[in-house]
This record gives sequence, C-alpha cells and structure tokens, in this order.
Amino acid sequence: MERIIQGMAPSEVVAQLRKADGYYITNTARDLSQSDFKNRILLHTDMLAAPSRERAGYFSLEITGGASIHVDILRKQVDPFLKLQLLREKMPNTMFQTLCRGVNLFGYRPYPQNVIRFTVREFAKYVDVWRTFDFMNHIPNMQAVFEEVAKAGKINEPCICFSTGPEHTDDFYIKKVKDILDVTGTDIILCIKNHGGLGSPQRIGQLVDAIKQSYPDLPIHYHGHNTDGNDIGRIAAAVINGASIVDASDSSMTGYYGPAPSLTVIQTLKELGYKAVGIDEDAVIETSEVIRDQRQYYAAFESQIKGFQPTVQIHKLPGGAMGSSLEQAAKGGFLDKMPDILHKELPRVQKELGNYWSVTPGSQILWTTAVANVQGGERYGNPSGDLRNLLLGKYGPFPFYQPEEWIYEKVLGTDWKKVLEQEGGMDEIEDMDLEHERTTLSEKIGVEPTDQQLVLYLQHPNDAVNFFKFEEEFGKVYVLPPSIFLHQGKFNVGSTLSFTDHYGKEHVIEIGPSMVNEHNGESNVYLNVDHHQRIYAFAPEAKAGVAAAATVLSKEEIQALAKNGDIRAPFAGNICEISVKEGQEVAAGEQVAMMEAMKMQTPVVSAIAGIVTTISVKVGDAIKPGAKIAKVDIDE
Amino acid sequence: MKKKILVANRGEIAIRIMRAIQELDYEAVAVYETPDKDSRHIRLASEAVLLGDGPRCDYLNIEKIIKAAKRTGACAIHPGYGFLAENPDFAKACEDAGIIFIGPTSEVISNLGNKVIARRIMAEAGIPMVPGTPNLSAGEDGVQEALTFAGKYDYPIMLKATCGGGGRGIRLIESDEQMRKEIPVARSEAKAAFNDESVYLEKVVINPKHVEVQIIADKEGATIHLGTRDCSIQRRNQKLIEIAPSMIGDKELLEKICQTAVKAAKASNYTNAGTVEFLIDKDFNYYFMEINTRVQVEHTVTEMITGIDIVRTQIKLALGKPLSFTQDDIQLRGHAIEMRINAEDPQTDFMPEGGKTVSVYRSPGGYGVRLDGFVYQGYTIPQVYDSLLVKLTVHGFSWNETVSRVRRCLQNFDIAGPKTTIPFYLNIVQDPDFIKGDFNTSFLDTHPQLFEYKETPNEAEKLSKLIAEIHHRGTNAYAF
Repeated sequence: MERIIQGMAPSEVVAQLRKADGYYITNTARDLSQSDFKNRILLHTDMLAAPSRERAGYFSLEITGGASIHVDILRKQVDPFLKLQLLREKMPNTMFQTLCRGVNLFGYRPYPQNVIRFTVREFAKYVDVWRTFDFMNHIPNMQAVFEEVAKAGKINEPCICFSTGPEHTDDFYIKKVKDILDVTGTDIILCIKNHGGLGSPQRIGQLVDAIKQSYPDLPIHYHGHNTDGNDIGRIAAAVINGASIVDASDSSMTGYYGPAPSLTVIQTLKELGYKAVGIDEDAVIETSEVIRDQRQYYAAFESQIKGFQPTVQIHKLPGGAMGSSLEQAAKGGFLDKMPDILHKELPRVQKELGNYWSVTPGSQILWTTAVANVQGGERYGNPSGDLRNLLLGKYGPFPFYQPEEWIYEKVLGTDWKKVLEQEGGMDEIEDMDLEHERTTLSEKIGVEPTDQQLVLYLQHPNDAVNFFKFEEEFGKVYVLPPSIFLHQGKFNVGSTLSFTDHYGKEHVIEIGPSMVNEHNGESNVYLNVDHHQRIYAFAPEAKAGVAAAATVLSKEEIQALAKNGDIRAPFAGNICEISVKEGQEVAAGEQVAMMEAMKMQTPVVSAIAGIVTTISVKVGDAIKPGAKIAKVDIDE
Repeated sequence: MKKKILVANRGEIAIRIMRAIQELDYEAVAVYETPDKDSRHIRLASEAVLLGDGPRCDYLNIEKIIKAAKRTGACAIHPGYGFLAENPDFAKACEDAGIIFIGPTSEVISNLGNKVIARRIMAEAGIPMVPGTPNLSAGEDGVQEALTFAGKYDYPIMLKATCGGGGRGIRLIESDEQMRKEIPVARSEAKAAFNDESVYLEKVVINPKHVEVQIIADKEGATIHLGTRDCSIQRRNQKLIEIAPSMIGDKELLEKICQTAVKAAKASNYTNAGTVEFLIDKDFNYYFMEINTRVQVEHTVTEMITGIDIVRTQIKLALGKPLSFTQDDIQLRGHAIEMRINAEDPQTDFMPEGGKTVSVYRSPGGYGVRLDGFVYQGYTIPQVYDSLLVKLTVHGFSWNETVSRVRRCLQNFDIAGPKTTIPFYLNIVQDPDFIKGDFNTSFLDTHPQLFEYKETPNEAEKLSKLIAEIHHRGTNAYAF
C-alpha cells in the first residue's frame, strides 16, 4: 500500500517514505488560513472540504498549531480540540499535522516545561505529525516537545528554519541536522522550514541535496511559501533533489503569501517524471470546487495589498506574518511607509540583530523594531520588552554573531554590560502548579475544567476564559457558515438563515425588524427562531471592552503628561498585565502595566516616583495611544 | 335561550370555569378590568363586560358585578377563587338579587370565614383542633389573655387576624415581649386589610404537613369527600406545588381525616364544593385548620385522581341538582401533581415578572398532562394581578411515573420573556426527599440548594443571540 494512513507507527511511516516511488503532499490548510486569511478560515469551511480532502490522499493535513489555536478561541470561537475531533470523524485516514514553536508552543514566549509536556500530551491525542521549530534553531528549545511526541507514539518532524545570507551555508544546516538527530534518533522526518519562501529553486535544490548526501535515509519535508510567486520552482527543485514530502494547498483558496496550489505542484512534477504518491487528482480538484464559493465571505481578511511580493527576498517577512503586518500598517495609517520599512529598515535591522530566522516570535521582534525605528524617529529609541529579552539571550544564543555594542547600549541602557552580566542568559522557567491553575480556572468558569480546557487556559489565560464564557452564552458557533459568522452589515429583513446545530438539529431563523425602545434606548431585534418570535435587546451603544476611548494624543503630549504622573498608552494595543495596585508606591522607571501589540509586549513605566492613585484600565482592554492607564501622584 | 353564567374572575380560573359552563351547553359571561383587556378569558366567553379601569378594585366591586349579571341576563355567578369568592356580602348580594351564587350560602361563608366562629362550630362537633383562643378582648385584657394562653401552651404561638386568610394577617410570636408589641400592630393591620380588628391565638404546630380534603355536599344533605391533597410545599404560606392523594403511608389515618372533613362540613351545614384544611404534626396528630368555601387553585389534582369534574359539579349543585354519585362511586386512582408556573424569579425571592411580554410560549402535552392557563405568545403580563401563568397538572399510575412525567413536562416548556418558576421546580422534582414523598411546610427552608440553578437557554436561542448581535452591530465583534 502506498498511501500513508493515520495510525501507522512513526517507524512504519518513515520506512514507507524511504522506499516510496515519488513524493507526498501535505495540505497546509492551516498555513493558508494564517498567511492569506489572517487565520480566519472557519471550521465550517474545513468541514465542507473534509470528505474530498480525505479522499485526496494527502500525507497529512496541517490543520492546527501556529497562531491558529489562539485565533480559534479568540476570533473563531471554536474549541481547538473539538475542531480536531470533528474533523477526525470525517477524515479517519488522513494524518493531522501541527506546527509547534518549541518552548513557545503555540504562543510567543517560553512556557514552563510541565506546561509544554501537558499541552503536547493533550494535543498528541489528535495530532499525528508534529512539526516543531525554534526561531533561533536552538535545539534544546525543542527537546521537551520531541520527547513527549515520541512518548505519545506520534511522528516528530523537527525543523531547520531556513534563511538566506552569507552565514546560511549548507555546512551550517547540516550541522544543525546532526544536532537534531543526536537528540531525536533517526525515525523522524526533517522539515526544511522556508517560512518566508526565500532563496531560489537552485538554492533549495542544493540544500536538499547536501542534506541527502550526508543523511540519505532521512526523509525531508519541504515547507515553503509562495510570496514571490515561485514556490513551485523551489518545490520542484526539492523533489528532484530527494525531498519526500512537500507542502501545498487547495487552489481555489490560495493567495499571495501562503502555500502554492497543490494541483500545480502535481501537474508540474508529473511532467518531470515524479509521481504524487497516494494522490487522487479528482478529489484534489473537487475540494477546490466545494469551497470556492466560500471565499467571498473571507474577503475582509485577505491582504490589503494584492499581488506577489518578490521583494520578500529583501525583507524576509514570513508568509504567516505578511497579512497581519500589512493590516497593522493599514490600521496604523502607515501603509505609505511600507517601502521604507520593508525594503530599507527591515533588512538593516535584520543584519544588525544577527541575521537570525525571521519567524515567530523573532519575526515580530524584527518587524516591531523596524516600525518603531521608522515611526519613532530615533532608531532603537523605544525598544520593546521582547527586543530587550532577545538581547539578554532569553530566547537562546545568537546563531552567527551578536549585535553591535551600541545597540545593547540603546536597548539595555548605559550600564548594559552590567545588566547583561546580571540578567543575561536563558532563564530556568519554574514549573507551574497545575492543580492551583486548575482551581483558579474552575473558580473563573464555575465548573470543574477538563484537561483540555486547562491546556487552553495555560496558553492564553484571559482569552480562554472569555472563550468558555462565550460558548456558554452563544453555544457552539462553528456550525454557522462564514456567510453568517463573518457577515458584514445588517442582514436583510425577511431573509432566512438556516443551519444545523452541534446536536444535529436544523434551525431556521428569519430576520425580523429592529426597533428602538424610546424609554430606555434599547434596540430590540426581532428574530423568528424556528417559527417562534424571539426578541433580543441591546443596550444603547456603549463601547464594551474599550476603556477610555479618548482622543488620540501625540507622542510629545503623552511624554509631557508622563512627567506629571499621568501615564498614557504610548501606542495602540491591549493591556495584558497591570503590575501595580492603587495606593502602591512606585519608583521612577518602575513598570505599572504591560501592553501588547502585534503579539509583542512592552512595559509601561512611571516617569516619576510617587503613589498610584488611579488605575483607569483593566486587563484585556484595547486602548488607543493617549488613553489613560494610571495616575501617579508625588508622595508628599 | 341558553342559560348564562357570569364568571366573576380572571386568568386561568375564569377559563377553567368557562370550559365547564360551555360543556354544560350554557353561555359564559366574562367581566374584566381595563388592564386585562388582552386576557384570553374575554375571548373565550360569549360576551364580556368591562367593569372599569381597576386595577383589582372592580373585580372586588359587588355592585358592578351584580349589575353586569343583570344586564347580561346571567342567572348565576361563579366567583372562582380570590377576589369575592369568600366574601359573604357578595354571596348575600347575589341571593338578594335573585342570582344563584355558585358556592355555599352566605351564612356558611360568613361563619366559616370567621375563624373564631368556625372554631366554635368545630369544637362542638368534636373536630380535633390546634389549641387556640377566642377573639382576644380589647386592650390590656386581651394582652393578659394572650399571656395566660402562652403560659399554658408555650411559644411559638401564631397571632392571627380573625378575618384573615390565604396566608395574610398571621404572625409568629416567640416571647411575651413580642406578644405585647405585636398585638396592637396586628390589630391595626387587620383593621386596614379586613376592616375587622379581631385577632386570636393558636398554638404553632412546628413544620407540619399541610393536608386538605375536598368535600362536596348537595342541598339535600348528601356530603362526600374526594380524598386528600398535600399542599405542604409553600413559600411564605403560599402554595406552590400540590399533590393528590397525600403521600402519608397510613391509609387508615387518611381515611379518618377524610371522615373528619365530612363531619366538619356537615357540622357547618356546608353545601357545594369546599376544602377542609388540616395540619399534621410529626407524630401524625391532625388538627382542623379551616374550611375554604371556594374552588381551590389545586382542585385539578383531585379531578385527575377521581375523574370528578369539580367545577361542573359545583354548577349543577348550585342549580339545584342533587349529587349524581355517592361516596362509594369515588375511587382514587394513581397520583397527581400540580405545579403553579408563575412569572416570578425564585432566585430574587420570587420577585414577580409582571410587565414582561411572553415572546415564546410552547407548552408540553401528551399522556396524563393537563394545562390550565391563559397565557399565549405575545401576551404582556399585567403588573397589577397575580403572577400565575399556567398550572401544570400531571397524572400517573405510580408516584415515580408521576414525578418523571412532571419533570419531562417542565423540560418541555419553552417560555421566553419573563422568568418563571420552572427551573426551580426542575430542581424540586430531582430532589431526593421530594422523590421519596418526604416533605412538609419547611421543605423550601430546609432545601436551600433548590434555589441554585442556572437558566440555560437552548442551543437555537444561543446561536440566534449571536445572529441578533451581528445583525444589530452590523459586524461580529467576536470575529473581527
């Protein structure tokens, strides 16, 4: 049997790959969703695609991991575990694949070892292939994941993150492969993770060949992005030089930054004499047809800028971050500065910071720094907390060279050498008391949480609790198609929406009129739910969750206020931590809150010493630049 | 021309009575106050008379009702329960106007409505009673009488308004000091509420079961009973759940109680349908409490287990027919439970939900299920009347079957708009003590966990809530 079936032992899978006459394809639906649709492709669409994707005979379906778990609970309101269970019912034979960021798991910062192991154990119940990477290619950062995946009897697919530049030689990467194999043993698949879609077909072919020369029995999985429009070339070069598996996805949904269309891969390589093993071409085509007309409902999440970006070879942003970066630029009103940021500042920052791999969370550090450098005027004048941690070596050692001293001085201060000496190096992160966390969660949601709920909570404490509460209030909303869930504007009065709920019941909802109650200003929305009228009342527009939606202040105004102890948000973002209490004394320079934007955390500090008299925000608030955070009064 | 009977009531009981009237092939006349103009009892009647703007005062206005009966040519008036049902002046006014009052005579109502006279009649007939006093004398003499009684029977003691009833005008006294303080207060309250400041005392039976007997008597003196009902599950002396027959295992005791009830009815020259209420203490001693001279809210459970249509019988007896069945014809079959589905929030001390519109009303049905209600989808519950929406009565062969049927029915209800007592009842029917049939009047106080529940809307409601929100905001704030 040629096709690799879910349930086979890792050794069997690897043996089959070694002797296969041709190459396999992984459908990277998750990466397509992340790169070209800001991670919003709904489970509803994946469920529509499931029967034909199952018949298509892919090596695996990458359907979870990366940022998707966070977005599942934050913006798609779907349980990432339930998603895998439901898809498994429809796809019994296809292996499911995840993308795991090593110690950073599916998030942006290192987790304690026991959290990593607990999380991997829970997800390994559904996930067969574990693609694991570290943005510094620092192998110890991936070790706990390797161990738990092997223990669960699932397939380890460690990555070497790929980039270009004088340091990125075959020898360097072959050494990394050796380091990996020393840890994992040989029953693994090696992934060349080309998250930016960098390098020419020639370069990728060379690298695959070089690795194959050193490790002929090691199956190679090439992962690329089509940002420059030429991933087909790189995929073909990889297969010709001995790669066993390549990544692509459904053509009707492909965009500019994600995977290349799988049918094009199949057709191209067929002419070159390479067979896509196990693939049913008709089913590949059918999948695209089935989901084609869903694409219109995701239009809001497609890139602001259309067209391929061959300049990715200069700025090296990973496909998965392109969409969100452009969105931030559009929302922040600096789309016009993109050429400067992408083609001048970003390559410069990259070189200055050690030419490491531009992938999560390293790519966010590069991007945030480049944007701050262009927007803020003074380069490295407004460093993020994560850049500071990068320089302190919290993510691991720089792979090639360290940034120059002046950068350390800018970021860590004049006594940076002392700071580096005292705080530098990777932290031993203490294990969390999981039973304590379980109790905390159960208090927050009012029921004993399941292990899966606890896993989600440990990853994203606030967002997981919000999601559990959302589900209690609104039910299992994955049953709603994007035409409803992502609907923009009002529905037409009289239009009929129908769907089948999680429990198999059909529902028909007719949109009725909306009326404003003159007494209390409430809007009443009339719906005919299963032929019975229901009325839903909404309080008059008060921006829920938006604290102090004040006027936007300039940087100078914010700094002037800071000197009076009036601490304002320096940029648009979310409050992720409040570090002080009202009545507490603070020193000048002491952190009062932590803000997060673009997944990067930045401390907000008090400019003066005094007593915190007011805190105007709460954790989770989305605030604008200039919004009040806290007030510090000089202690008299 | 068909006979016309005027129904001097509103809500579910007006409809219940009209059904009987219509089955007898008579015509029903409804009366109403303005806040009730959308009430279904008006639509079901052959004709309707607006009494006035109310609220509550016109349903209590004897003159207006007699006038309405005369104008429409009604030959009889059924008073239902509450309002004028136990007002002897109303019965008397009917008698004087030559209109048949469907109930006992005004004299019987008057005697039994006066707690002290009633106790005297029962004492003469040898009916067991909770120790008590006649009306207390005025002033300090009355206080001294009270303290003497307390010295003999010990506290707690109930201080009752002679003309009170339905849980009103009673207070619990636990010390001499409190007795002194409360007597004048009770008097002035009784004066305000019942226009009679008489009060008396009764020894308190602690955590009794409330068991009552349905009796029926015709004018020729035939008096029979229709078995017992247990109405122990109450809040603030207002019944919530009623069961027939009583779950007391000692059948001989129940028979004795029923015979006592018949004796009590005879002693008071009772005619038509009535209810003799008893308290039963933990040692199964039973004490006469009072006779209610009206159809009870909970008459449905008796109808379910006996097959006797009590309201139909009431009308026939009032029109002068003799009882068409004897005591030997009455067989008690199975069990029945009635639950009052009220528009109230049990979690906020049964705060009424008046003023809200019932946007969805779907009711259960099926074998052994009876609904006596008047609510419909789109109905706005008036704030000025009681909060009863519908009575759910189920009948089953065994107790277990009956409990599971009532649970199923509660689950099958779908009422949107006001909060209701349904989720609270769902807790009750799943309570082990209730399932065992083990409850007395302290049930709610001793089972505080019954008030712990979360109302979970069904999946369709939850999903439509999100759709409503997307529609309202023009975007899905949880996705963007």
